Amino acid sequence: MAAQHIASDLVANVHSVAVRVGQKVEAGEELVLLESMKMEIPVVPEEPGTVVEIRVEPGDVVQEGEVLVVLQ
Amino acid sequence: MNALTAAPEAPAADPRDPNLRLENFLDDGTVEIINEVEKSGFVSARGRANGAPVVVFCSDARVQGGAMGVEGCKAIVEAYDIALAEGTPIIGLWHSGGARLAEGVVSLHAVGEVFAIMTRASGKIPQISVVIGAAAGGAAYGPALTDVVIMAEKGRIFVTGPDVVRSVTGENVDAARLGGPEPHGRRSGVVHVVTETEDEAFERGRLLASLMADQREFDVAGTEERDLGETFPENAKRAYDVHPLVDNLFDDAAEIIELHAKWAPNIVTALGRFGGRTVGVIANNPMRLGGCLDSPAAEKTARFVRMCDAFGIPLVVLVDVPGYLPGVGQEWDGVVRRGAKLLHAFGESVVPRVTLVTRKTYGGAYIAMNSRSLGATKVFAWPSAEVAVMGHVAAVRILHRRRLAEVEIDDRARVEEELAAEHAVLAGGLERAQEIGVVDEVVEPTKTRGALVAALAEAPARRGEHGNIPL
Repeated sequence: MAAQHIASDLVANVHSVAVRVGQKVEAGEELVLLESMKMEIPVVPEEPGTVVEIRVEPGDVVQEGEVLVVLQ
Repeated sequence: MNALTAAPEAPAADPRDPNLRLENFLDDGTVEIINEVEKSGFVSARGRANGAPVVVFCSDARVQGGAMGVEGCKAIVEAYDIALAEGTPIIGLWHSGGARLAEGVVSLHAVGEVFAIMTRASGKIPQISVVIGAAAGGAAYGPALTDVVIMAEKGRIFVTGPDVVRSVTGENVDAARLGGPEPHGRRSGVVHVVTETEDEAFERGRLLASLMADQREFDVAGTEERDLGETFPENAKRAYDVHPLVDNLFDDAAEIIELHAKWAPNIVTALGRFGGRTVGVIANNPMRLGGCLDSPAAEKTARFVRMCDAFGIPLVVLVDVPGYLPGVGQEWDGVVRRGAKLLHAFGESVVPRVTLVTRKTYGGAYIAMNSRSLGATKVFAWPSAEVAVMGHVAAVRILHRRRLAEVEIDDRARVEEELAAEHAVLAGGLERAQEIGVVDEVVEPTKTRGALVAALAEAPARRGEHGNIPL
């Protein structure tokens, strides 16, 4: 199955990472919590998968389009 | 099997047969063919869509790929004349390669006449396009001029196909990636509704036509209350998906149509019945971009507001917006020009339109989301809602910048909180917003449906007098 690259919609601070590598996740399950525009915004996948890579950690600043998590 | 004794099999029906497609689209037994010129490439019919009278025309993809020649374009224009005279929606079922090359310039002239009547009909009768096969060149701009474009899985829209793109620019792309449901549903905004199958596209088209043509009356007494607050997270800073709120607001979640669901998903635009009547709902979606407005969201909403206004469909605006999205990309993308379309759309709209602030509304986005100043019929707010120029903490960081700079860094958050609390009292919150008249009424989430329906029903039912340019 193809990899799903889960990217940030907008410039944000990474508040927390809710998953670990190897974990199976459902569609809509929180992967990463971002902080931006006075909001805490969960990042969720559209389809289920297994986490193969986490590219950010809490405190990071991410740009629009930057990949946060890769699912298989 | 012995060919001599086998029962003769009926030839399999060609799924591209326009008569079959008209049968499939219209309610059973209601098809009345208006115009079927042999080999013209188009067939038109009267009939009903979920009971509402409509006019439909369909490409005949079996004849020169459904190309638009003089006779076919004449059939479309005649169908428009009938729909305009009878005041019914018109639906185009598109599967066409564009103008007929063999006919030369005269076919371009004929296609131009189709565009002209579509423009003249704009805002007068609902125009819906269902793209079920390739719709290229002239057949791409036909749907694009109409109010709503529905695309089935096999639908494709492009000005020039993959071969021309490859020969001119060297880009290697297939038809689906160039002009299928994914690019048009998510990136270009050309398509409003994407479906898995042709049958589902027809079902959506019928529902849309009946919602727009048979709008019905508000039933204030019969509007049931629900707890609209139950889908909200406890933490006020936490983003959430607004769809459950939208589903809960409408009478029946199964009978709503969301337009542009994947394009500019930071705002939701949907049609359905509310309090028994067709209304349009607009809702910020904090789950995407924190619910910020940006240039595509402003443009998407502006077009939706103008469409609803042109057809007399009242609006409900559900507001939870932190502001406009900042950034160089946004400014260069024309957030000022495209954002102005939203201000203009609300400012000119005459249909009943009520606003409900659920959590917060700040700054420029506050004005754009159907504020009192832009002429909202009535503005409601839930008891915990915040109406402000910006969040209190953000405000004190600007107002008390020097004082905060003098505070030890470890202590800064505490001082900010204190100042923010002071600022909240000074700014006055919802009470102040009511005093100055920008919020009319504070309403509980459990009493909101009735209050919104009553406010819409009390307002004069008016309709804007303008076309619906595809903004």
